[in-house]
Amino acid sequence: MMENAWLIPIFPLVTFLVLLLSGRRWREQGAYIGILLTLASFILSLLVLIERFKEPTYKVTIDWLSIGGTQLTAGFEINQLNALMLVIVSLVSLLVQIYSKGYMYGEERFSIFYAYLGFFTFAMLGLVMAPNLLQLYFFWELVGVGSFLLIGFYFYKQEAKKAAKKAFIMTRIGDVGLLIGVILLFWETGSFEYGEIFQAVQAGEISVGRLTLIAVLIFIGAVGKSGQFPLHTWLPDAMEGPTPVSALIHAATMVAAGVYLVATMFPLFLASVTAMHVVAVTGGFTAIFAASIALVQKDVKRVLAYSTISQLGFMMLALGTAGYVAGVFHLMTHAFFKALLFLAAGSVIHAIHTQNIEKMGGLWKRLNWTGPLFLIGTLAISGFPLLSGFFSKDEILMSAWEHGDYLLFTLAVITSFLTAFYMFRLFFMIFAGESRSSVNQVKESPSIMLLPMFVLALLAVISGYIQTPWFGTFLGDWLVEGNEKLLGASHNEGPVWIMFMAVFVSLAGILLAYMMYAKKKIPRDWLFKENSKLYKVIDNKYFIDEIYFFTVGYAIKGFSLFLSYIEKFIVGGLISTVTSSIEGLGKIGSKLQTGQVQQYGMIAFLGLAVLLVIFALTGGYLR
Amino acid sequence: MDWNTMLSYNWGAMMPEFIILGTAMILSILDLFWPKHFNRRKLAWLALTGIILAFLSLISLFSFETVSILSDTFRLDSFAKAFKLILLFGAGLVILLAESYEPQEGLQEHRGEFYYLFLTALLGAMIMTSSGDMITLFVGLELLSLSSYILVGIRKHNRKSNEASMKYVINGGISTAITLFGMSYLYGVTGSVNLGEMSRTMAAMTDGQLQYIMGLAFFMVFVGLSFKIAAAPFHMWAPDVYEGAPTPVVAFLSVISKTAGFVIILRIFLSLFLTAPGDTFGALDFLEKNNIYIAFVAGLTIIIGNVIALRQQNLKRLFAFSSIAHAGYLLVAVATMGGGYFLMDTVWFYLLAYLLMNIGVFAVIQLLSSQSGSEDISILAGLGGRSPYLAIAFTVFILSLAGIPGTTGFIGKLNIFLGTFITEPGHYVLAGIMIAGTIVSYVYYFGLLVQVFFRPIHSDKVIKIRSGLSTVIIICLVGTILFGIVPNLALDFLHNQFGDFTDFISSE
Repeated sequence: MMENAWLIPIFPLVTFLVLLLSGRRWREQGAYIGILLTLASFILSLLVLIERFKEPTYKVTIDWLSIGGTQLTAGFEINQLNALMLVIVSLVSLLVQIYSKGYMYGEERFSIFYAYLGFFTFAMLGLVMAPNLLQLYFFWELVGVGSFLLIGFYFYKQEAKKAAKKAFIMTRIGDVGLLIGVILLFWETGSFEYGEIFQAVQAGEISVGRLTLIAVLIFIGAVGKSGQFPLHTWLPDAMEGPTPVSALIHAATMVAAGVYLVATMFPLFLASVTAMHVVAVTGGFTAIFAASIALVQKDVKRVLAYSTISQLGFMMLALGTAGYVAGVFHLMTHAFFKALLFLAAGSVIHAIHTQNIEKMGGLWKRLNWTGPLFLIGTLAISGFPLLSGFFSKDEILMSAWEHGDYLLFTLAVITSFLTAFYMFRLFFMIFAGESRSSVNQVKESPSIMLLPMFVLALLAVISGYIQTPWFGTFLGDWLVEGNEKLLGASHNEGPVWIMFMAVFVSLAGILLAYMMYAKKKIPRDWLFKENSKLYKVIDNKYFIDEIYFFTVGYAIKGFSLFLSYIEKFIVGGLISTVTSSIEGLGKIGSKLQTGQVQQYGMIAFLGLAVLLVIFALTGGYLR
Repeated sequence: MDWNTMLSYNWGAMMPEFIILGTAMILSILDLFWPKHFNRRKLAWLALTGIILAFLSLISLFSFETVSILSDTFRLDSFAKAFKLILLFGAGLVILLAESYEPQEGLQEHRGEFYYLFLTALLGAMIMTSSGDMITLFVGLELLSLSSYILVGIRKHNRKSNEASMKYVINGGISTAITLFGMSYLYGVTGSVNLGEMSRTMAAMTDGQLQYIMGLAFFMVFVGLSFKIAAAPFHMWAPDVYEGAPTPVVAFLSVISKTAGFVIILRIFLSLFLTAPGDTFGALDFLEKNNIYIAFVAGLTIIIGNVIALRQQNLKRLFAFSSIAHAGYLLVAVATMGGGYFLMDTVWFYLLAYLLMNIGVFAVIQLLSSQSGSEDISILAGLGGRSPYLAIAFTVFILSLAGIPGTTGFIGKLNIFLGTFITEPGHYVLAGIMIAGTIVSYVYYFGLLVQVFFRPIHSDKVIKIRSGLSTVIIICLVGTILFGIVPNLALDFLHNQFGDFTDFISSE
C-alpha cells in the first residue's frame, strides 16, 4: 500500500481542479466530490499507517534534475511521523469538509470554497510526504498560498482582506529564514535529502556555530508558520476566515507544519544546544504569553486562536527540551480537541450569529449537543484527568522537568493553570447563566455538522491512551523505533508528583473559572479592574501590533521613502537610460531591416569580412 | 562498384530515408494523375503515415550498431538517430498544421505539391544528420534549401509570398556560395571530402600556414551556415521570409530547418575542428582557441533578436526575431561546448523544447490569423475570454519561450546557462548577455499575454478548431509541461539510448 501513497495528495488536487473548472454547475453538490475524494485520501492514509506499523520506512525518489554532478530528486517518504501526520491531516480535512457542507450552506461561492479546501489539503499532504527539504519548501509555500486564499475567502470584507495579507506577509518573513537555512544546508552538505544531511551532521562535518545558525534560521520558518512569538500576530487576525477553515488550518494542519518541520529536522536541532534552547525558550514564552492574552479576549474565536498559539508553544517547548515524542503526541491530541473546539464554536456562532461571548450565555439548555461536545473539548485542552490532553501535557511537563529547565517547567505549569481558567471562562460565558443574546430562536446545528464533532470528541477522549504511563507507551516506542539515538527516549520518566500537580492546577483553574463566571461568587474584577492599566495592556495584546506599527512600520515607511527617492532618481534614471538605449537599438535595428535584399547581402558580407579581418589581424591569437 | 558490393551494404540503415523518399514519390504521382476536383487535403494523411512509418523504423534502428555505408558517405550513429528523432517528430506536427491550414487565398491548387516538397525538404535534413562526407552533407543541405525556397513561395499569386521566396533564394544563394567556398578550402588543405579522413589529416596539421587557411575555411563555413540558423548579422532574411511564407512553412523553417542547421554545424565542427590543433604546439584544439568568435556571434544574435522583437507588431515577424534569439541561446551552447561535456544533451534538449513550444505557438497563430485574415498582434486580444483553453495553452507556450520555471523552456535554458559556468574560464559575459536578453524578451512575450487576457475581445466569432490542429496543440502542451516538470524523462532516455555519443567521429 505504501508504494501507492503518492495518490494521497492527488485526490484533493483532483477536487481542486475539478471544482475550479466546473464547480459552478454543481453548486452545493460539489461538496460531495470534495468529501468523497478526501475520504479516499483518508482511507488510503489509514491503510498506509497500518502497513507502516509492520514494515520499515518506505522511500521512493526519482531523479528530477541533474545539474553537473548534483542530482536533485523528487518523490515521497513514509516514515512514522509522516504516516501519522497523513492520517491527522486527511482526517481533519475530511471532517471539516463534511461540517462545511452544513456550515457554508447557501454561500454563493460554495464550490470555490471546496476547491480551495482541496488545494490546501493537497499542499499540506504534499508537505508532509516530502522526502527532501527542497520539495518540503515547495509545498510549504503552496500551503501559504492555500491559507491566504482561505483566510481571505470573504474578500469583500475589508478585515478579511487585511488578515489574509497579514498572514501571508508574516509567514513570509519566516519563510525567508527557512529558505536561507535550506540554502546554507545545501551549501554545507551538498544535498537536500534528510538522510544525507543528518549523516553529515552526525559526522560533525558542519561547525557548531554554523549548525546553530542553520537550525535557528529553519526555526524562524517554523516560528512564522506556527504563530510563535514574535511572529504570532497574524493568527488571531486570521480568524476572519470562515470557521471551518480555522478548524482546519489554525488548529490541526498549517500551524502544525512548523512543529512538524522542527520534528522532522530534530536530529539537526539536537546537534546544537543553543538552537534547542532557542526553541524551548521561544515555545515556553509563547505559551504563557498567549495564554495571558486569551484571559481577556471577548471574541470566542480569538480566545481559541490565542489558545492555539499557546498550545503550539507547548509543543515547541517539548521539542526544545528534547521531548520529541511529547511534542508529536501533543501535536496529535491538540489537532483533535482544538479542531473540535473550533467546530463547536462554529456551531454556536451558526446558532446565535455573534462571536462576542458577552452576548452569549445560557446556551447549555438550548444547544443540547453542541454544549456537551464543547465541554469535552474544553476538558481535554484543560488537561482534565483521563482525557487526551491530560496525557500529552503530562509528557511535556515531564520532558521539561527531565531536561532540567526548571524555569520553563514553572512557566508551563502556570500556563496549564491559565489554560484551564480561560477555557472554562469561555465555556461558562457561552453556556452558563442567563441568555444575554438578542436572538430568540436558537436552533441546534444540523446533524451533518454534529457528526464530525462527535468523531473529534471521541478522539479527544480516547486518543491519549496510546501513550500513557500505565498502559504502555505504544506511540513513543513506535515513533522512535530504530532511531533511539537520534530522537531520544520514547517516554519521559519523571517524579509522580508532577502528574498530581498538573491535575491540581487544572482543577484549580476550572474551579476559579466556575466561581467567577458560573456561580459569580468571586467578582470578575477581583484581581484587576476592567479599566486598569494592566488589563488594557493585555486586552490590547501587549500592544504588539502597535509596536510593530510604530517601530517596524514607521521604520520601513521611512526607509521606503528613502528608497523611493533612490528609485525615482538613481534607479529610475538608470532604467530609463537602459530602456531608451534598448529602444534606440531596436529602432536602429529595424531601420536596417529595410526589406532590400542587396543591403542584407552587403551586411552579411560585411559581417564575414569583419570576422576575417579580426582573425587575420590578430593572427588567430584573440582569445 | 559492382553489383555485389551494392548488395553487401546494409541498406536497412537507410530505412527511414527510403520511406520518406517513397512517400514523396507516391504523393507526387498521385498529385499528377488524380482528377482536379479531388481534395488534395487528404494527401496530408498519406504524408503523415509516411512520417510515422519512418519514425517507427527509426526506433527499430535504435538497437542497430553504428554503421557507415556507401563508402563512408552515410553514417547511422547515435548523433544521427537522436536528431532524426527530433526532425521526424517535428515534421509530423507540422504536417498536421498544414492539414488544418486554411488561408484566405492561394495554396488550394498547390496543396499536393506542398506535401511532397515538404517531404523532400525533410529528406534533405535527414541526410544531413547522417552524412559522413562533405558531398552528401552539401547535397542534403541543398535538397533542404531548394525545397524550402519553393515552399515559401507556394502561394503563387500572393505578392508577399513571392517576395519572400525571392529574398530567400538570393540569401540562400549567398549562404551556399560562402559555405561552398569554405568547404573547397577544407578540401584543399586535406585532399579529401570524407569527414573521417579529413579529421585525421587535420589533427596532424601543425603547420602554421595551413592552420591559417583552416581558419579562413572555418569562418566561411561558419558564416555560410549561420544563414541557415539565422544568426546575426546573417539573420536579415528571416523576418521578411517568415512574414510572407504560409504559417506551416514558417513553423517548418523555424524548427526543422533550424535543427538541420545546428546538425550540420555540429557535424562539421565536432568532426573537423575539435580534433584539429589550434596552434603549432597542439596545446589547444582549434575550437577551444576560436570559440570566442562563435561566442561573439551568439551574443550579437541574442541582443539583436530580442531587441528588435520589441518593436514588432506583426506576429510572424515577432516570432521571426524570437526564433533568432533562440538560435543565439543555442549558439551559446555551441560556443561553450555545453560546458565541455554535455553539448549533445544540451542542444538536443533545447531543440526538443523549442520544437514543442514554437510549433504550439504557431498552431495558435495559424488558427487565429486564418480566421481574422490578419497577422497583427491585436488578433490575440481577448483570447482569454473567447476561448479559455486555447488561451491557457498559448500562455504555457509563451511562458516556456520566456523560460519560466515549470516549463521545458526553462530547463533547456538552465542547461545552457550552467554550461557557461562549467568551462574554464567561464563565459561570464555570455551568461550576462543571455540573462539580459531573456529579461528583454519578457517585455514582448508578456506583451502578448497582456493582449490575451487584458484587452477587449477583438471579435466574437466562435473559434473552430480542426482536430488536426487541436492534436498538435495538445501534444505540444503536454510535452512542454511534462518535460518541464520531469526533464529527466527525456534526458535519461537520451543517455540510455545513446550514451555519450562516443561513436560520433569515424570509429575506424
